[in-house]
Amino acid sequence: MAPTTDMAAAAAAAIVPNDFSRVLAQRERRFAAALLAPAFLALLATTTFPLMFLVWTSAFRMDLAMPFANGFVGFENYQALLTDERFWSSLLLSLVYTASTVVLQVVIGLALALLVMDMKRGQGWFRLIAILPVVLSPAVVGMIWRTFMLAPEFGIVDFLAINAGIGSKNWLGDPLLAMVSVIAIHTWQWTPFAFMVLLASLAALPEDIYEAARLDRATAWQRFRRITLPLLRPAIVMVIIMRTMVALTAFAAIFTVTAGGPGTATEILNLYAYRKSFTELSIGYGSALAVALLIVTVIISGVLFALRRAK
Amino acid sequence: MSGRGEVRFEDIIKMHGEFAALKGVNFEIKPGEFFALLGPSGSGKSTTLRILAGLDAPTAGHVYIDGKDVTSVDARDRDIAMVFQSYALYPHMTVADNIAFPLEMANMPRAKIGPAVVDAARKVKIDHLLDRKPGQLSGGQQQRCALARAIVRKARLFLLDEPLSNLDAKLRLETRAELKKLQRSLGVTAVYVTHDQEEAMTLADRMAVFMAGEIQQVGTPAEVFAKPNSIEIAGFIGNPPMNLLPARYINGDITIGGRWLKTTAQLAGERDVIVGLRPSALRIVADGINGKVDLIEDLGDSAILDIDCSGTQIRARVNHDNVPREGDAIAIAARPQDIHLFDPTTRKRL
Repeated sequence: MAPTTDMAAAAAAAIVPNDFSRVLAQRERRFAAALLAPAFLALLATTTFPLMFLVWTSAFRMDLAMPFANGFVGFENYQALLTDERFWSSLLLSLVYTASTVVLQVVIGLALALLVMDMKRGQGWFRLIAILPVVLSPAVVGMIWRTFMLAPEFGIVDFLAINAGIGSKNWLGDPLLAMVSVIAIHTWQWTPFAFMVLLASLAALPEDIYEAARLDRATAWQRFRRITLPLLRPAIVMVIIMRTMVALTAFAAIFTVTAGGPGTATEILNLYAYRKSFTELSIGYGSALAVALLIVTVIISGVLFALRRAK
Repeated sequence: MSGRGEVRFEDIIKMHGEFAALKGVNFEIKPGEFFALLGPSGSGKSTTLRILAGLDAPTAGHVYIDGKDVTSVDARDRDIAMVFQSYALYPHMTVADNIAFPLEMANMPRAKIGPAVVDAARKVKIDHLLDRKPGQLSGGQQQRCALARAIVRKARLFLLDEPLSNLDAKLRLETRAELKKLQRSLGVTAVYVTHDQEEAMTLADRMAVFMAGEIQQVGTPAEVFAKPNSIEIAGFIGNPPMNLLPARYINGDITIGGRWLKTTAQLAGERDVIVGLRPSALRIVADGINGKVDLIEDLGDSAILDIDCSGTQIRARVNHDNVPREGDAIAIAARPQDIHLFDPTTRKRL
């Protein structure tokens, strides 16, 4: 009997401090929860709830122009969406807009970063000037381009075009040129971001491996292809992911420059959802469009993240 | 491989702004030689190697390789292989890809690259690590990978920039011996930068000793050790370095601590000199310079004594079987041929 009681006592002694630490941990967890709660609730109220509400709304017919027909319709909005030609064309425009702006940002940003890396002086100034477009509001950028840059005859771009012998163009009135213009505007504003990220990664690459590559008789192009590009890959993929998610949901710049026009020439999915909801006042269907955009964004981001992890 | 890898530096000057990193360097390296550039940090030895490699351009002067002036030839076109102190392995490539890289750049056909890579890896004993990335290797393995990358291409010059300095002491000794064997078996000219005189002494056929941007002495390690031609080299070569003591010289004799020592010098007259005495050349005698043993550093097979000779500190290295005790009064002397004399003003050997 005696040994058993001894063992029990020992076990009890072992449990006591354990229990105590558990109490402490529990207390700490409660305190942490209390500290987190306000931020958590605010996030819930401003992001999760509106999102849920959006999904809920998309299951209704909610037409402010014809309120008598309002009511729950289930998936009807989504069925309509699948046969809506304007949806498919806006989705296509979204994809074209995203792909071309992201590719341009990465290519131009990388080229600029490589050039600036070789600058012996004035790197700081260049960075400072380059970052300026990023800090502007997209709406302001849109206004600047519509008035100063692209206005017929007086805009800088049109002025240059006239002097270059191309002649005055209706930059925002021609469907194709309008699309090119909004792509150029987005690229202009956000290339500095890619440039800064890639420049930082370039600066972090060790110098000695380039010297080793020179002695190994690699040409400048081979050094770029075989060393710089693979080592920059994580940064490039990160830039692509971040810029893709933003480009898919771009709004303000296009809205202020063309508002989706002429016609629907620059009406990317985001703008179509806006127009449907707030111009045509068809809130239910607009919500369905927004949910569709959300799904597209999630799928594309998922694919990109999977690609990132692949290697 | 004779006639390949001959190097000549002619009046090479390198300025960094106002600072002269190299103040007119001249030397020659013979084909097949293991040549060491030895000197303390900041003495210009690494700058010399970088100029030889073509990574930096000299401010003035000419570099010749195999008789051709290559001063303005890019590093790419000099046919030189180099092992960097940091190893400079390509971090995103496997060991095999790292070793294959110089061959691919030389447009060697794929079928020949594979065997060449395995062969080079086997020579430095890393053929079992070919699939690893540099980040998964130990320091010693990375170093071997860098070596393999340098030897895989049969370059005419093989440069090594402090290749052993990042290894631990035991591995450094092992690799040192292997490096020498490797160089011998390849028969290639090697230029080796180091601040470690022991490495230079053991590895090099000849060496150049750098001090403050200038070459102070060129010669075989034995020559430099036996006849250092300046006070700086005398104080740099040898472990522990030479004792350097001011003394009075009169017609072939010198006086230290009130004692007269004979030298082999033939100079007549009387003058001030700096006397150089190697710790290992000093022996304990019955009648010599008197002193008291301050401190004993026991090295196992020998011991280093710090001796106080009426105010002058002298270090002596003695055999393990006749080590005195701390505080003992002893007398030391050196043979005339072991006494080096230097001019205190020009700091050159007399």
